[in-house]
Amino acid sequence: MPIGGKNYVRIIPLVIPAIGSGGTLKLRSFLILSAFSLVLFVAVTLLSAHSPVPISLQAAAGKRVWQRHNCVSCHTLFGNGGYVGEDLTNIVTKVNPPQLVQYLVQPPVMRPNRYRHHPALNRTEAENVVSYLEYVHTIPTLGWPPQPEKAGDEP
Amino acid sequence: MKLFRMFSAGASGRHPVLTRPRQQVFLAQKISRRYCLAAVTLFAIQSVVALAGALDLVIPDLPSPIPFEFGRAIHLGFAVLWPLIGTMGMVYYFTAAELNREIFSPRLARWQFGVVLVFALSVYVTLSLRIGNGREYLEGMPALYLGIGLALLLAAYNLVRTLWADKHHITPAAAIMTVGILFLLILLLPNVLHYDNPTLDEAAKFWVVHLWEEMAFELTTAGFIATFFIVAGLAVREKVEKWLYLEAGLAVTGGLYSTGHHYFWIGVPSLWLVLGALISLLEVVPVVMLVQMTYVGLKSSKANNTTGIKSKREKLTLWLILSSLLYHVTGASVFGLMITVPWVNLYVHGTYTTSAHAHLALFGSMGFLVLAGCYYVLSRGSEPTQAGYKAGVLAVLLLNIGLIGMGTALLVAGFLQTYLWRVLGRDFMQVSLLLTPYLLARVLAGGMFALGDFLLIWQIYAAWWRTRKNPS
Repeated sequence: MPIGGKNYVRIIPLVIPAIGSGGTLKLRSFLILSAFSLVLFVAVTLLSAHSPVPISLQAAAGKRVWQRHNCVSCHTLFGNGGYVGEDLTNIVTKVNPPQLVQYLVQPPVMRPNRYRHHPALNRTEAENVVSYLEYVHTIPTLGWPPQPEKAGDEP
Repeated sequence: MKLFRMFSAGASGRHPVLTRPRQQVFLAQKISRRYCLAAVTLFAIQSVVALAGALDLVIPDLPSPIPFEFGRAIHLGFAVLWPLIGTMGMVYYFTAAELNREIFSPRLARWQFGVVLVFALSVYVTLSLRIGNGREYLEGMPALYLGIGLALLLAAYNLVRTLWADKHHITPAAAIMTVGILFLLILLLPNVLHYDNPTLDEAAKFWVVHLWEEMAFELTTAGFIATFFIVAGLAVREKVEKWLYLEAGLAVTGGLYSTGHHYFWIGVPSLWLVLGALISLLEVVPVVMLVQMTYVGLKSSKANNTTGIKSKREKLTLWLILSSLLYHVTGASVFGLMITVPWVNLYVHGTYTTSAHAHLALFGSMGFLVLAGCYYVLSRGSEPTQAGYKAGVLAVLLLNIGLIGMGTALLVAGFLQTYLWRVLGRDFMQVSLLLTPYLLARVLAGGMFALGDFLLIWQIYAAWWRTRKNPS
């Protein structure tokens, strides 16, 4: 059978078994395609999410503190979360860990409020959550957040 | 099935001699009413919670019984769960209509409603008491999501058994709705676990945040739209069915791998930058097919007076569907694709730009459709009065203006934030304070949205009240 002209249309159902007569999918093909896509997607995700550095016990405990206090509602990690507070993915490079612990144990008033303080943690919780933030900082994020063009310059 | 074929043939104008046969009301369709009523009620409460949260953002020291971090969590909990409950009702309703027979077990559907409502309300109550699990969009306790999963399991079992009962007469719309429910279940389950690895945690979260919305709900609503278009005479059954599986197949594969655009910066290899950006293009294809189908349907319906939509109830449903299509194209597809380009995303990610996209795409595409379905289900057997129809259209208009207002305000805030904070590197808090006027504009638009919300819910309640005794 010569391939060319309108004839190529006829071989499409042979080449792609998922496409049946009339150029449309059938239920069985749709189910197979969906199941295959899902399994492959989950497998690739699991492989990609594998962390080069395993998380320490303290950092893992800190992650639970992070979740229990719903920190994500105001702060982002990897840019995901709320935008009221600053992104904390690399906060340990700007504020040193003991200062962070101190901030969380004796939280200051949050700008622009005059009375409302940042929620407080006890010392162990604060140390754990800072350990978690130190761990998050070590995760490679493909160059995010971007480096500002004129870092530090006042306009 | 036969009855339904006759019905659609009559509506499509090919056999004008056939009059519309009186459709039977199935128990499944009566039960679906309580799902839809619960869903629209939760939607009304959501706009109050969201408005309070938006105010809390711009008014310093605003006294509130629930702190902002838990208030926002409740808002997101509503955003995820009311469309789910509405979808469950819609799927039962339209599956029975499509197959023209009763579902496998109406009793199970009743139990399922109890389960999903109890666990959804528990999420809101526990979050109000400041008990939560701190994963964005899934802030409730994991055990509660297990309960939601149980409800989905009951739904999936019920629907699969329904289809299985007559394997040779499965319509594409019924099949893809069932697959949609199955996907909702499969994607939720990994999220009842705890992950120590933050990268995996973020990834699993997007299986609900992204894949519920852009894949599973796309399947359930595609089934609804197909059924509605056929019944309303906007499309011919054969034509719709010819493309439905292909559309659904694209929605599944496109939806799955475009999750990559959420994976970009969470600690995965750069493969996902390519996958996420390229496959997101594929996601647009089903949207284009849907828009094309609507355009052709509306054009032919206008040209042919005998087949055009006469019923005000169907017209109001159509206004809601058209609103959804508007945001499918603008907020979700065009704007979504723009911020999916990795070089753009690098800068706009983690700013109010994402928030603008979330509002436009989440409520815009999905919320309007679930509202359309719920209104259609709850108004069965009655026509709105002229005043009721006008109020309904006004409500849709207010919702649209409010949503576009919120989206625009957040977009401007997002661009400012991107430029001043990300590009120029100015202090985060300094930039945040500059955003207050735009966040205030968001509150005003949100107020407009809430007004539209209440007006629409009032019309839906009125329709429900009129038909509560005999929805036929």
